[in-house]
Amino acid sequence: MPAEAEWRQSVFSLAALRRFATYLALWLILIGFNIADLAIGVAAAAWATIVSILLLPVNDRQISPLALAKHCLRLPWQSLVAGADVARRALDPRLPVQPGFITHATGLADGPGRNAFRAIMSLQPGTLPVSVAKSGDMLIHCLDMSQPIAAQLVDEEALFLQLTKGGEKHPKRNG
Amino acid sequence: MSLMADTLTIAAVSAGLFFFLAGTVGLLRFPDTLTRLHALTKADNLGFGLIVLGLLPQSPDVASGLKLVVVWLLVQLAGASASQLIAQFASKGGPSA
Repeated sequence: MPAEAEWRQSVFSLAALRRFATYLALWLILIGFNIADLAIGVAAAAWATIVSILLLPVNDRQISPLALAKHCLRLPWQSLVAGADVARRALDPRLPVQPGFITHATGLADGPGRNAFRAIMSLQPGTLPVSVAKSGDMLIHCLDMSQPIAAQLVDEEALFLQLTKGGEKHPKRNG
Repeated sequence: MSLMADTLTIAAVSAGLFFFLAGTVGLLRFPDTLTRLHALTKADNLGFGLIVLGLLPQSPDVASGLKLVVVWLLVQLAGASASQLIAQFASKGGPSA
């Protein structure tokens, strides 16, 4: 077997094993450890691994642990700001909402990276991704158009790109 | 120690309930489907997070605490994905009120 194929095979096996371990751990946390039930857990984790590899093929892109930790620490704060912002608007007798749409030209390639970014944006204050065109134009619904949301989206995307070492950019937009 | 844990539980769960109430008020008062989705994805998520945070000190063991955290993560993931699917459907001419 050529060296590159052998290397790819080992990357694939390692990633599959990691996914299997993660699913089994999730199953054990949710159902609890019991020898009699373990066979079901192993089978469920194996099926989940197969399905996940079919839906989300293995690649050798690596996530920077430092950037991931930074992101995970920011998320609860962002969630607090977003929740407090919506609560304030909902409970204000004047109902200060000024909804509208903006388009954000994302540099992220179509795939898991872009989907993860959309999921994170849906938890951010005032933004709700609605759809994304093949070209990378993301339609975002905003709760208050008077807020500087376009700049916020650019900053968030720059932060998100730090997660993947070397980034995962759209070939047309960022070369 | 128990008093501190109980105080944290009462404070966090009460705050969580407040945000659930605010999310529900938003759901009733906001003008259309997409703005209502903001109320559900932001205020209710925060409310649920605070309730999980408040319940953590009451978990009898680490496994139960971990289960709470995993349930919270799954709800976050489901909420973030489902809200976008509903938003996409609503913007394509689905029910707007």
